[in-house]
Amino acid sequence: MIYKIRHITEYKYHSPVSLCYNQAHLLPRDTLEQNCAPSNVVITPKPNYMAQHSDYFGNHYVYFSLQKPHTKLVIDVTTEINSQNERAAFALELGISCKAAREMLMYNQDPDTIQAKEYILDSPMIRPNTALKAYAEALFQDDIPLLSAARALTTKIFNDFKYDPSSTTVATPLDEVLQRKSGVCQDFAHIAIGCLRALGYPARYVSGYLETLPPPGQEKLVGADASHAWFAIYSPGEGWFEFDPTNDDIPKEQHITTAWGRDYSDVTPLKGVIFDGGNSHQLSVSVDVRRLEQ
Amino acid sequence: MQSKQTQTQTQGNQDQNFHWSFSPDGHYNEAYDKLGLPRAHWEYLLDSINALGSSGLQDRYQKASRILRDDGATYNLISDPLGKNTWELDPIPMLISSDEWSLIEQGLIERAELLNLVLKDIYGPQELIRQGIIPPEIIYSHPGFLRQCKGITMPGEHSLILHATDMTRGPDGNMIIIGDRTQAPSGAGYALENRTVLSRVIPSLFRDSQVHRLALFFQSLRATLSSLSPTPGDDPQIVILSPGAYSETYFEHTHLSNYLGYPLVQGSDLTVRDGHVWLKSLNGLRKVDVILRRVDDIYCDPVELKSDSYLGIPGLVEVVRAGNVVVSNPLGSGILETPALLKFLPAISQHFFGHNLKLPSVDTWWCGDPQDMLYIKDNIDSLIIKPAMRQAKSPSIHGHTLSESDKKNVLARIEKAPYNFVAQSYISPSYIPAWQEQQLKTRPSIFRTFTVATESTYAVMSGGLTRVGLSGQDSFVSNQVGSQSKDTWILASEPEKQLSLVEDRSIAQESNLPSRVVENLFWLGRYAERAESTIRLIRTVFMQLNSIDPLPEASKKLLLQALSKQTNCLPGFTGSPALLNQDQELINLILDTQRPDSIKSCLLSVLTCSEEVKEMLSADTHRIVNDLRDNLYDLERAYVGGMPSAPEETLDPLVTTLLALSGLSHESMLRGIGWKFQEIGRRVERSLQTSRLIQSLLTPELAQTDQPQMLEAVLLSVEALITFRRRYRTYNDIAHGLELLMLDETNPRSVFFQIKRLQAHFEELPQAVSPQKPGLNPAQKAIIKSLNGIQLADLDNLAKVDSQSKKRIALDNLLNEVRAQVEEFSTLLSEQYFDHSAGPQQLAETQEIISI
Repeated sequence: MIYKIRHITEYKYHSPVSLCYNQAHLLPRDTLEQNCAPSNVVITPKPNYMAQHSDYFGNHYVYFSLQKPHTKLVIDVTTEINSQNERAAFALELGISCKAAREMLMYNQDPDTIQAKEYILDSPMIRPNTALKAYAEALFQDDIPLLSAARALTTKIFNDFKYDPSSTTVATPLDEVLQRKSGVCQDFAHIAIGCLRALGYPARYVSGYLETLPPPGQEKLVGADASHAWFAIYSPGEGWFEFDPTNDDIPKEQHITTAWGRDYSDVTPLKGVIFDGGNSHQLSVSVDVRRLEQ
Repeated sequence: MQSKQTQTQTQGNQDQNFHWSFSPDGHYNEAYDKLGLPRAHWEYLLDSINALGSSGLQDRYQKASRILRDDGATYNLISDPLGKNTWELDPIPMLISSDEWSLIEQGLIERAELLNLVLKDIYGPQELIRQGIIPPEIIYSHPGFLRQCKGITMPGEHSLILHATDMTRGPDGNMIIIGDRTQAPSGAGYALENRTVLSRVIPSLFRDSQVHRLALFFQSLRATLSSLSPTPGDDPQIVILSPGAYSETYFEHTHLSNYLGYPLVQGSDLTVRDGHVWLKSLNGLRKVDVILRRVDDIYCDPVELKSDSYLGIPGLVEVVRAGNVVVSNPLGSGILETPALLKFLPAISQHFFGHNLKLPSVDTWWCGDPQDMLYIKDNIDSLIIKPAMRQAKSPSIHGHTLSESDKKNVLARIEKAPYNFVAQSYISPSYIPAWQEQQLKTRPSIFRTFTVATESTYAVMSGGLTRVGLSGQDSFVSNQVGSQSKDTWILASEPEKQLSLVEDRSIAQESNLPSRVVENLFWLGRYAERAESTIRLIRTVFMQLNSIDPLPEASKKLLLQALSKQTNCLPGFTGSPALLNQDQELINLILDTQRPDSIKSCLLSVLTCSEEVKEMLSADTHRIVNDLRDNLYDLERAYVGGMPSAPEETLDPLVTTLLALSGLSHESMLRGIGWKFQEIGRRVERSLQTSRLIQSLLTPELAQTDQPQMLEAVLLSVEALITFRRRYRTYNDIAHGLELLMLDETNPRSVFFQIKRLQAHFEELPQAVSPQKPGLNPAQKAIIKSLNGIQLADLDNLAKVDSQSKKRIALDNLLNEVRAQVEEFSTLLSEQYFDHSAGPQQLAETQEIISI
């Protein structure tokens, strides 16, 4: 499937911003299942400095700065992506058991397995604790295949948590999300990652998009899509596997990956520093995921 | 482990030979062998010390302390301008023989080369982790591992530019490294200062001992920093980035800035534009090529690193990434300081070099390793537990000091995040003779070395910083908990030729002064003048209140009210008198720091400003600033029991010191831009103060008989009474007084004189006159207006009292105008030359909008 994704972020400031420096993780990356044409990035007003880089995790990002006073900033990114329809279906029941996975993580000298341990450790927004461990522990019995357990965790979060955009913000601590049992996709991904790390398995955060289809017979609205987030678990010797707890699903061609990291803070869509601009601003985001051809 | 100190030196007999050869059991003695005989390389020094005797040593110690104080050598523990701790220097140096030194030197070069390879690997391919040589947790869970810096490379062979190590000599006499400093190693500047001072205090001993010089190290540092510049060929712009005057090692930053000839800047002095870093100087933006960093890396850029840091430069990391500026040590280098790495250095050395390191590190166990953890549990009594991340707030835990329940708690804390802790074996440090409390003592010591990258290898400072404990107990020796320092002499086998940077160093160009520096000089001038005029007025008030001729009530009221106005402490004496305790209010105007312009507030501002521009001040100025600090301390004590008798005398020393300060800036400061701003500050303040004083005291009508006394009070407090009497013997009327106070071009305290000077200084400032906008600058216009206003005024008219309002209306109006014009001038000046950018703020994060 070929998609065209347009992601527009617009800031309006109360008074002029004299200087700004920003980092935008808005450029989808290549993965085993998707290929991206170079993104078209239009920033208004035109930045004085702009560069594209790969970050620590191999994600692409745009760095830009403006030094002319402005009250409005628009970042408009368009990318064409070929997302493979055929994916190597993985059998959840096969593969290594939870116990074998833990032992391999402990003793295996395979360089990739060693390096994946980075994703067991605490990260800025995820500090695993006993509550998270207790929430998921029963699913990860020694002889259960690791990936079936991860799939079961996905379902458990989907069943136990209520989707409610008003209940959390990006700053809501994980503990609170777990207590309230409600949140949005990034909270659910963080919960799953926190559980897996508390149990000693490497897990990472994936940000991207999900194509939504209009109800039958209706025209799809422009800009009605949104960014999305899910998680991936590392199975030693087998690699990374993705799960979507918001939709109780395994990501397929409609899941388009932008970036991954230890948690949301590694791949924040847009962050930066401004000078002046008053104390308030308005932010609006519009995302459009459109099929170009099957 | 506890010291069983044997001290055979008896007090009181000054000229006896010293014998302090014994150190506690199980410790090496630097100066004496096991039999109590002096080691060969110490003989000459020990003989010389014997010859000096107690009084001689104490004399040298005091002299050294004086020089250090005059140089402003401090080590700040608290953010209080009155709380400066002078750097402590022992007049007895630490000695290392040249044979031993060459081994240490080779070991240090090898260690720096190794750490350099580790640094490159951690931020590059991570083979050390992938191949299982370093456990991943040590790096990945360390907050000093900055993922943002992956892939950033330094020009040349070395990523690690500056490296310092702490070492001590174990019981067998071998040096053992107990830690590495790779973030922004401090101490080299203090070592330099120690050397400068000691070579002055014991010059002949220093000369005869054939000591290796330190200058070579700093030459290498300068050459290396220049070679790092992304725009080679030119004279690169190199700056030293400091967290500011309240950094505990700020003295060192100012000292290095002067010695190396690089401007000292703070984060807000720099800005990122068009993909480069710029210094906001008086002449506009100057491109910066290399930053010698004394700010910890995570504070360096709020865009990509610690988002709430105000010490950094927003956008810096991206400029580094683009290769348009080089930061040394590179951002992210702090990770090498983790003590957990010490355990793995032998294996890392095998991996890269195929052999072990020449200089051993202290035995280290990493709590993340189950085997190590078992050992730690069994041996906690003989171990020191440290966090794997170096933090000021989490001190080491000494196992043998713990109770059984403490041990359990500590072990439980470790089990929660084992990879965040290490344990190290305890090393009994060597002991060394030290001059403390006017006696020779034997004290534990540690030694810090400094290494800098050169083109193809590393250069080690031939010397270093030795620190000794202040008690015979050897558990802690560091500046954080108070210690004494020693110069460290590497004894050459033959005399070395003199080398110093001073001759060839390029003086930092004045036009490259950061705006912040000139702004502080401006305010230094203003506050010093404000303090002086307030002190003079309050002194006059005291004299009048306590005069033998009782002061008429109306005059007294006027004087006290003038004081409240002058110090901006309203209502004060202008309010209801019933509500006010006169003595207490006067004391408050002197000492209460809650009052905006109390004397103490002004003086604290003087101290703060002078601290901010420390590197611009001469040694003599430092001495005067120190005197000011002492005067202020004495002043506070004088009022402890309420209003003293003859209170005006308590203020005399301050007036003298402030006069010395202004005299010195006149006599010994280069007439550069810095001096001009300080002068402008003084003149602005004096014109405002004098105008306000005349306005408060001379515009209201007084009884004919009281008027002369009031005029005298004004003349006295602006130090013009004697001139007035000499010049106008027989007259004591207001018109003549006003002539002297306002119009007289030859009276250096007249209002006209101040404004005339302002005009002259302003016209000499860079870009005072813009080529784009011919004609007068608005600031110049404000000055000319006030000059004209004063010159065109008619004296008799000014002196005339309006019968309705009982005021000298013309005088009041003129002074209002003059004050407004000078204020306007000051505002325009600061808008044109000082930096007014507000601090950065974080862009609010994008709120995710979620699809189901």
